[in-house]
Amino acid sequence: MMEVENPVQKIWQDQPVEGIKMSAEIIQKSAAKFERRIMWRNVREYVASLIAAALFGYFFVTAHDVLSRVTFGLFIGAMLWIVVQLHRKGSATSLPRGVDTLTSLRLYRGELERQRAVVRNVWSWYLAPLVPGFVVYTIGYAIKFQRPSAWAGLALMDAIVAGLFVVVWKMNMRAARCLQRMIDDLNAVE
Amino acid sequence: MTSAQDKLYSEAAQTYGAAMERLARAYEADADLRRDLVQEVHVALWRSFDGFDGRCSLRTWIYRVAHNVGASHVLRQRRTRGQELVGLEELENLADTNSGQSAADRGHAFDRLLGLIQRLKPLDRHVILSYLEGLDAASIGEITGLSPGNVATKIHRIKNMLARQFQQGRSES
Repeated sequence: MMEVENPVQKIWQDQPVEGIKMSAEIIQKSAAKFERRIMWRNVREYVASLIAAALFGYFFVTAHDVLSRVTFGLFIGAMLWIVVQLHRKGSATSLPRGVDTLTSLRLYRGELERQRAVVRNVWSWYLAPLVPGFVVYTIGYAIKFQRPSAWAGLALMDAIVAGLFVVVWKMNMRAARCLQRMIDDLNAVE
Repeated sequence: MTSAQDKLYSEAAQTYGAAMERLARAYEADADLRRDLVQEVHVALWRSFDGFDGRCSLRTWIYRVAHNVGASHVLRQRRTRGQELVGLEELENLADTNSGQSAADRGHAFDRLLGLIQRLKPLDRHVILSYLEGLDAASIGEITGLSPGNVATKIHRIKNMLARQFQQGRSES
C-alpha cells in the first residue's frame, strides 16, 4: 500500500477486493488463444489471394493463345501485388503495452489512421491492379468471338465485374467511416 | 514461457493484485465484466513482461499496462454503450450541480467516489486513480506521460474536487 494523505485515498484503498488469482496454466491458455487469433487473422488475409493466384496460374499454364496468357499473367501479377500490399499496409500491428498513457493513445490513434488510409485507398492498391487483366481479357475475348451475342455476354460480364468493384469500394468506404468514428471517439476522450 | 517472465508476473500479481482489482472497478461497473477485465489485465501483464527492459520501475510498468488495458476497455464500452465521458474541469462543474441531492442519495462515500471516477475520460481517470492509490506526482507523470506541471495542476484540481464533494457530503449528512 502507498502513502495515504487524504481520507478519500483511504476510502479507495480500503475497498474490499475478491483476490482474483490466475494460475500459470490459465494465463498460458489465454495468451495462446490470443496468439492463435492473431495468426488466423493473418492467415485469412493471404489465403484468399494465394488461392486466386494459384487458380490464375493454372489458367496461365493451360491457356493456348497469347492474349489469354497475357490476361492471366496480369491477374497473377495483380494478386501477388495485392498480397505484398496487404502485408505492407494492411497487417494489424500490436501496440506496445508498457508505454505511458499519452503515448499509448497516440499510437492507437496512429494505427487507426493508418488502417483508415488503407481502406480509403483500396482503389489504388486492390482494385486498380486488377483492371489491366480485365481489359486485356475483354479485348482478347472480343477479337476471338466476333459476334453480337458474344459481345453482349462480354458486356454483361464486364458490368458484373464493375458492379463487384463498386461493392468492394463501398464496403471499404463504410469501413473507413467506422474507423473515422473510432478516431473521433478517441479524440473525444483524450 | 521464460522463468524471468514468470517471476516478474508472480511478483506483480502478488504485490499489485489488489490494486489491479481496484483499477478494474474504476473501469467496469458490472461485476462479471469486471472479473473478465481483471483477467485481461493479468494476461496483458504476463505477456508484457516478455518485453520488460527495466527502463522504468516495475511499478510504473504495471500501472501503465493495467491503465492501457483499462483505457482500451473504456473505448470499447463507449462504442457499445455510447457513454459520455468528461474531463476533470467539466466534472468539477457537474459535481457542483449535484450538490442539491439528498444526503440519502449521496450516503455512500465510496459509491459516490466510484461514480465520479467512472465518468472521467481515460487520461484524467488514470491521474485520479494513481492519486488515490497514493502515487506521487513524479510517478503519475511517468505512468501517464503528462508533464510534471500538468500532473500538479490535475492533482490540485482533484484534491479540491474531492474536498468539496466529500466535506459537502459530510455536512449534509
